[in-house]
Amino acid sequence: MSKNKLRIGVYGLTGCAGDQLTILNCEDRLLKLFETVDVRSFLMAKSDNLEEELDIALVEGSVSTRSDEESVINIRQRTGSLVAIGICACFGGIQAVFTEPEEWAKQYEQVYGNRSVSSNAALQSRPVKAFVKVDYYLPGCPIHKEQFLALLSRLALGSTPEFHRAPVCLECKWQENDCLLNKNVLCLGPLTTAGCGAICPTCNLPCVGCWGPFEEANCWSEWNLLLDKDYDRNIIMQKMKSFSGTGFIQFFNTMKKERT
Amino acid sequence: MKVIKLEKKKLIPFLQFISQERELWAPVKKNDRIIYDLIEDFTCIDMNTTRTLLPPKKVIIPQQFNMFRVTGLGYESDYSHAVKKILFGIHPCDIHGLLILDKLFMQDHPDPYYIEARRNTLILGLSCWPDEHCFARSTNTHIIREGFDLFFTDLEHSYLVWVGSSAGDDLIKLKPEFFEQKPTDQDIQDFTYMQIERDTSYKTKINFISMPDLMELKYNETFWEKMGRACLGCGSCSMVCPTCNCYNVIDRHLISEETGERRRYWDSCTLCEYSEVAEGVNFRKNCADRLRLWYTHKMQAFISKYGKASCVGCGRCLLTCPVDINVLTVSKSLQGKDVYAYWNRLPREASDDKSSK
Repeated sequence: MSKNKLRIGVYGLTGCAGDQLTILNCEDRLLKLFETVDVRSFLMAKSDNLEEELDIALVEGSVSTRSDEESVINIRQRTGSLVAIGICACFGGIQAVFTEPEEWAKQYEQVYGNRSVSSNAALQSRPVKAFVKVDYYLPGCPIHKEQFLALLSRLALGSTPEFHRAPVCLECKWQENDCLLNKNVLCLGPLTTAGCGAICPTCNLPCVGCWGPFEEANCWSEWNLLLDKDYDRNIIMQKMKSFSGTGFIQFFNTMKKERT
Repeated sequence: MKVIKLEKKKLIPFLQFISQERELWAPVKKNDRIIYDLIEDFTCIDMNTTRTLLPPKKVIIPQQFNMFRVTGLGYESDYSHAVKKILFGIHPCDIHGLLILDKLFMQDHPDPYYIEARRNTLILGLSCWPDEHCFARSTNTHIIREGFDLFFTDLEHSYLVWVGSSAGDDLIKLKPEFFEQKPTDQDIQDFTYMQIERDTSYKTKINFISMPDLMELKYNETFWEKMGRACLGCGSCSMVCPTCNCYNVIDRHLISEETGERRRYWDSCTLCEYSEVAEGVNFRKNCADRLRLWYTHKMQAFISKYGKASCVGCGRCLLTCPVDINVLTVSKSLQGKDVYAYWNRLPREASDDKSSK
């Protein structure tokens, strides 16, 4: 174990562990990678984990319990950089669908009633950035192998990870697909970060937004376009909320204000 | 320019013969979409298509490709996209599109990746018939007199073949027995009638002559803001435009393989990141500014430099933009006409949303 090697930790909060699995799925390339860096902690891959100082922490999952919160604060305190991997860590994921506090309280009561939960209390699910500083984001559901390797390589070489900020539509056109919105299909391509290679539209299925909200997404125009195509506002909202976590919260708040 | 004649049934055998040592790319139908693709089954070539989803620029400069690879030993250029090709079935407007790209990539700032691929690609044009979205007559790109090696004009039972270059003549010489050296008087008559009929079939018309002036005079009109509010920022207009040429490069290092590569891919000036510089400063943060740049470039700036618009009237933007921002609606707005378009009826603020149920 060389002192110069980058010390890395891979952690999972609340999520499906699919992003950690994707890292393991790099298979033969992983061996080379793990020779280059020093993997201090990676519970899914090994048992002798050292919870010490790190250069890079890769964190999957959203913060959904008290212990998630404690872990992520602890990880942040002992790492140089923190990378949120997967949409749960980046935006909260599906479990953050109840963005309104009253909705969350209702849901909590339905599940737990009045019982007091002692060991690991559930919180309203939030992305990692709601608790600690996040240096880099690697979205995806799950993350993409190549993008993960490219990110880690850049960090290992001391440079900044680079992402092309574009919506799924760009990659969809590269794949030579007809626009599904033009065929009146409820497609979230324009609102969703590129990176998946437009897999779903290429199979003639609409984008559901699993790569997470695109930074410059024009929710207002997409929303009205779908209303214009006779979609019900509740359906549109459901679709937009499924994977966006807290990403479109500002837009939904505006819409809510407008209704009241 | 020599004009010869080819019987229709001899076209596919001719294409098969000349593509023995070159890749043949032509329009084909794949999952209901018409695209340019590498031809393996020659019977699949779509001779009657109006337009392909992506323009033929993809055959010269692919959507994404590796420019070079770096290893511990040095670096190696990658010109695998620039193999010898024949591009068949390209219509006059799209040939004009390539001629516009030539100006950008081959003159002031020569781009070796474009030049190499362009030089290795023979252009075999094919005549076409307009649909309701074509407006190549307005851009004067419905006919072509340069930029091809061979050009096939469809006359029902045969093709009149214009030989545009010595490389094209060499192709003919591979199978001279396929061709008749002299078209008949009837052929010439048929060709003349065909041209007249085709030229009067363009339903979409745009007056481009006034565009540079209108662009200047209406630079601050409110319709730009309206379009900016509606633009989904998807970049599709740039992808499907035969003259859009913006690209980005990204370096990927792979420590697991101890290599690095530089990837180049199509980009769009309508994306916010495109105009971002150091420290996150952005010259065109507002979407309306980016759209105005796109149209100013095509309908004003390009005309100032090269004497013609950077639009070839292919109609792809009309069919692609989900919110109706395209050359037709923009030019109508510039001319002060009423435009029925999604961007024009999108409510202004959330509180103006009348369509809520």
